[in-house]
Amino acid sequence: VKASCPRAFEAEALRDGRLTGAEKASYERHLGSCAVCAREARSLEALARALRAAPAPGATSDELHVRRERTRLLAAFDRAVVRPEPRLRFRNALLAAAALAVTVAALLGAGAWLAREPQPDLRASRDAAVVVAAHGATWSRRSEGNLETVVLTQGELSIRVDSKKSGVRLRVVLPDGELEDIGTTFSVSVEALRTARVRVDEGRVVLRLRGRPPLSLGAGQLWTPDEAPSAASSSGPSAANAQPLPWPSVSSASAAPPARSPAVASALGAARPRGLSSAPVPPPSAPPAAHTEPDSSSAFRAAMAALDSGDHDTAAARFARFVSAHPGDARAEDAAYLRILALQRAGRTAAMKQAALDYLRRHPKGFRRAEAEALSR
Amino acid sequence: MSLRRSQDAARPRAATDSDAALVARLAEGDLDAMGELYERHQARVRRFIARSTGDAEDVDDLVQATFLAAAASSERYDGRAHGAPWLVGIAARLIRRRHRGLGRLSAVLSKLKNAAESYLDPRPSLEARRDVERALSRLSEAKRMTLLLAEVEGLSCAEVAAALGVPIGTVWTRLHAARRELRSELHLEVEP
Repeated sequence: VKASCPRAFEAEALRDGRLTGAEKASYERHLGSCAVCAREARSLEALARALRAAPAPGATSDELHVRRERTRLLAAFDRAVVRPEPRLRFRNALLAAAALAVTVAALLGAGAWLAREPQPDLRASRDAAVVVAAHGATWSRRSEGNLETVVLTQGELSIRVDSKKSGVRLRVVLPDGELEDIGTTFSVSVEALRTARVRVDEGRVVLRLRGRPPLSLGAGQLWTPDEAPSAASSSGPSAANAQPLPWPSVSSASAAPPARSPAVASALGAARPRGLSSAPVPPPSAPPAAHTEPDSSSAFRAAMAALDSGDHDTAAARFARFVSAHPGDARAEDAAYLRILALQRAGRTAAMKQAALDYLRRHPKGFRRAEAEALSR
Repeated sequence: MSLRRSQDAARPRAATDSDAALVARLAEGDLDAMGELYERHQARVRRFIARSTGDAEDVDDLVQATFLAAAASSERYDGRAHGAPWLVGIAARLIRRRHRGLGRLSAVLSKLKNAAESYLDPRPSLEARRDVERALSRLSEAKRMTLLLAEVEGLSCAEVAAALGVPIGTVWTRLHAARRELRSELHLEVEP
């Protein structure tokens, strides 16, 4: 016969805060002497622990995804704060944005029910973002839904985006970080695989460089590193001279306007382009020729290709070589982390743990330290 | 309400601010404060939403909506030191609102398609879950959210009641029923 106690139900009451004062004190004393109630209390706690440990689909997200979602949130917040609709107050604008997001979530569910694929309007995306490249710039461009991604490897681009008009978001991927546009006109240049200058003519951008806090730049602001990078080099920075970027300086662009390349100046005219349709849109440059690509870039890409193709052993080896050959490269930390992932996917647990420890040793304050710590155990 | 924004972007002040200070700055439209609040709490909000809905598809949008709604109601923040329970409560309200909206939308779509079937809850199709997760997904949404808020997110029953807009007695009832169902499903010992 199973033992029972008439006060066992109070274990749940205690847990939920329903017992107070003398009742609480009485039951807590009882718990110390009643095995049935003590077991019930432990059972409730075990259930709670199991709930906390249960996995959830969509609960985890990699750091890059978190960054992008953060940028999307800030853009939505920025739109609500900076450019509220006429007579629409800040709070109402935010509520409208939140309601829109909830509606989108509901529609996603309905979309699954209808089994339809939403078709992004790529033409609108193209029309909304005008990219003008200076002579010699190396860059590419791609569209994914309403996200326009421009990858700038070298040289200067001037960009105008009207996200308000089309809902298009534009992200500029830089060798050492990324730049998120929030409906504006700006120019950005890269030299020797580092961001050399960002100038904002209208609106606002958010500049994120690896290892640095995000920087919000508004109209009329010019960002440059304190120590300007050296002239563009076809071979890229060596491990010896690849120093971390100093914290950037931000100044008024009007006080010391940077020289714009003639091609950019002529294409965009004055500081304010006339319109989206009037500005010519030169095609993206061809992929950089093999002989001009830095060794580090081709090595990193080869490792990524192996990882993407599922050849995890090769990927791990290539990332390891990258880390040892280019310790000062901006992607060294990414490579060290991706090596851990590759080893994990290859099922090489011991090597994976060692790689995680290597990561923590090299990057004690790294972006992925929490994950590396978990994987090293 | 003023629309002051942080002009001193080069000085990362937000990282050292308390949640209460961040929310106060959020009420003034401070972009950096929003970014820092998101950094601190997005993982917890995301986890709660994912577990509550059992659906990975729209987690991102609900997380976004939570933080935007938080900014909208930031003036009513009660000043508590830790902002996570407040954000999770907002997420809970949005999930309930979304389900009501989705239910209405599904009804309309059903009529349009002349289909007898109603909105297909994606939860049953999510297979290969662990036992606890599966058992959790079988609870009603009201019980599931109540249990998660209390046992996983650490809200007091009074806070759960405020977040869900129900009397505290309802919270206690739901908690008891949810535990009983879960323990039965998981074949855990249940006291008579």
